Amino acid sequence: MLAGLSTNLGLYLGLSAVFFAFGVLTVLTRKNAVGLFMGVELMLNGAALNFVAFQTFRPGTHDSWLHGHVFSLFIIILAAIEAAVALAIVLRVFAARRTIDPDRATELRG
Amino acid sequence: MEQSNLITYAILIPLLPLAAYFIQSAVGTRLPRMGDWVSTGAIFLSFLLATQIFSAMWGAHDPSWVVAKSWTWVDLGSAGLPVKFDIGVRLDNLSAVMLLMVTLCATLIHLFSTGYMRDHHGHPADGYRYASFFSYLSLFTAAMLGLVISDNLLTLFMCWEVMGLCSYLLIGFYRHKHSAANASIKAFMTTRVGDTGLFLGMLALFALIGSFQFEEIYKALQDGIFTDPKNSLLGFSAAAMIGFLIFCGTVGKSAQFPLQVWLPDAMEGPTPVSALIHAATMVAAGVYLIIRVFPILDVGNVLPIVAGIGGFTALFAAILAIKQNDIKKVLAYSTLSQLGYMVLALGVGNFTASFFHLITHAVFKACLFMCSGSVIYAMHHEQDMRHMGGLAKKIPFTFWSMFIATLAIAGAPFFSGFLSKDMILASVLGYGQHHGGLSWLLVVSGFVTAGLTAFYMFRLVFMTFFGHPHDHHHYDEAHEGGWNMWFPLVTLAGLSLWVVYTGHVNPFQAQGWFTQLIQPPKLPILAESVKEYAEFEHHGHVPAMIASLVVATLGIFFSWLVFGAKKIPAAKLAGIWPNFVHKAIDNLYFFDWFYIKVAIQKGLMPFAKFWTIVDDKVVDRGMVDGLGDVANVAKGTINLIDDVVVDRTFVDGFGGGIPSALGSSLKVLQNGQVQRYLSVAVVALMLLFFFLRGVLF
Repeated sequence: MLAGLSTNLGLYLGLSAVFFAFGVLTVLTRKNAVGLFMGVELMLNGAALNFVAFQTFRPGTHDSWLHGHVFSLFIIILAAIEAAVALAIVLRVFAARRTIDPDRATELRG
Repeated sequence: MEQSNLITYAILIPLLPLAAYFIQSAVGTRLPRMGDWVSTGAIFLSFLLATQIFSAMWGAHDPSWVVAKSWTWVDLGSAGLPVKFDIGVRLDNLSAVMLLMVTLCATLIHLFSTGYMRDHHGHPADGYRYASFFSYLSLFTAAMLGLVISDNLLTLFMCWEVMGLCSYLLIGFYRHKHSAANASIKAFMTTRVGDTGLFLGMLALFALIGSFQFEEIYKALQDGIFTDPKNSLLGFSAAAMIGFLIFCGTVGKSAQFPLQVWLPDAMEGPTPVSALIHAATMVAAGVYLIIRVFPILDVGNVLPIVAGIGGFTALFAAILAIKQNDIKKVLAYSTLSQLGYMVLALGVGNFTASFFHLITHAVFKACLFMCSGSVIYAMHHEQDMRHMGGLAKKIPFTFWSMFIATLAIAGAPFFSGFLSKDMILASVLGYGQHHGGLSWLLVVSGFVTAGLTAFYMFRLVFMTFFGHPHDHHHYDEAHEGGWNMWFPLVTLAGLSLWVVYTGHVNPFQAQGWFTQLIQPPKLPILAESVKEYAEFEHHGHVPAMIASLVVATLGIFFSWLVFGAKKIPAAKLAGIWPNFVHKAIDNLYFFDWFYIKVAIQKGLMPFAKFWTIVDDKVVDRGMVDGLGDVANVAKGTINLIDDVVVDRTFVDGFGGGIPSALGSSLKVLQNGQVQRYLSVAVVALMLLFFFLRGVLF
């Protein structure tokens, strides 16, 4: 059964799409900035899964390049940095207005 | 038993609590009883599986029994990179015994929590957080079990870090309390210091042999890769450096000197958590790690450092325990002290005794902590022993369990602690006799600690259970919890008897199934030293047993004189010590002061401030503002053009009618809400894809 799974690119892309869609949904609907960033993480990882899947299934994988894998490693590192920066922003926002509801941060309205 | 079955069981053992964690996190609050039965049931199933593994090991009855299987997780070999991570499961006598102990203690602690975390009417004391408490417990246990079955340092390290996270979550469980929040951060940050060492050690190890697996490490040791002069740095062999760095991880996790500061503060967590952290999981993980890498430590000659740190921690924590009045703090310092014993045992080369004490200590310390929990529960969350007294009649199950466990930790014959502690002391004595000089300090520390342990533990028992009640209101209401609270105590007290660990009737004979099955890895390179270490234990055996019996009896006797019969007033005993001793003990030897006031405020803060200044003056003022000045000049020019050409000519020329109508209708979209913008962007993107699908794909 597992062997069958590992030969089907579509399944991985489907999973990746599901991750991404859930991430978007989370980002759009959460009323808490921390939850919002969790959604961003989901989107990033959905995208990273895409890279790995395409790398694994592309024809002639046995050459010496690992662009997809390396790219997903970059995504992981960038996601960690993004989380650190984002949480720092959340802390500052909380300190300034005692709430992290994104709906309440509307200074930039026209 | 089929070997593949055992491997499946071993993998299921951590997966069951992990599954419970996910269930509890997702739907815990909506389940009946908030799902405490999910976590408890999962760990109980793990316990049943662990008994299967244990019985398979028991059936083989071979010190070098191993069932192992590994898989390749990451392999970049096809890309020409020498990076290959194999992960797998290794079941040997160590992990089989450890699995049984961890699952048993954890099951009983879960069961105890179902009573302790409720108030006296049976309602969850912390509302919905009752469910998250059990989810954290499950995750914690899963991580520990995953660590035990790991056949490599990589997955071991991952589980190790998950445990670090769980300790943070659980110690800070009463998050509304400022002290608990601080304690959880302290625990997390302090262990992180040690973990950095461990991680560096792992990197060095991987750079050296290209694998994290214990089998490969042992093989490389045998091949002399670790001792090869060309792999040495600054005169230290690779084995010495890697061994020392890995030991740093243990110093953090098992709270050895100088990173011991987090463990007493960890008492801020709920009592079942203290039982879990201090007995079966977190601190045991550190000792388990150095037992696993014992061959590296031995070959690298790191063992004297290990022994020194262990011996020092044992003694200095025991001294602190004497003056504590919080019932849990006494137990916290006794844990530190006993962990020191385990590390000391390994340091003098007694592999078996170190692991033996790890197991016996886990059982009686889990019992002691849950007993203290039961006392605290009975006293309506009063933890100060000065307000207790005379509880023996009120809570008999707790009293007898605690009494037995106290005898075990004090090293009284007929109990498990006597056997394991005696083995350690015998080895230490033999080590001292053989090496002489400074190593006698270890001997002194070992025996003094044994006496002090008996003293402060009986102080706890006398102050709590004997004498007159000091708080009549709480005393009158004190009562035993339900069966789910006394059953774990009684079970663990029963498992503190000597016969469980030897199978002999003779309570003075430590040799039994345990000592036969738990033996150091059979590596030719170790053979010489292991033989020598066995000699130590053999030589020291009889005098150490007599001496340890004498010091334990003296400790108990003095404790009785002062706190039981009150022949000597405690104040008088305290008065004979000079003031600076009291000051040092009250301030925990100034370690917290040193770390916070000196190391962090004087060392790290100026460093951080320096970079703040660099950021402010150089980056912000110099670069950003400098660019700003250039931009300002440009802006002035452009403004002029804008004003004269664009505004006057074009805008005013075309009039305001159409643009302002368009503007006010588009203004609705620009409401400042980020999520609204994103929704518009997503919908727009989807529409774009829909209409351009023929062109794009």
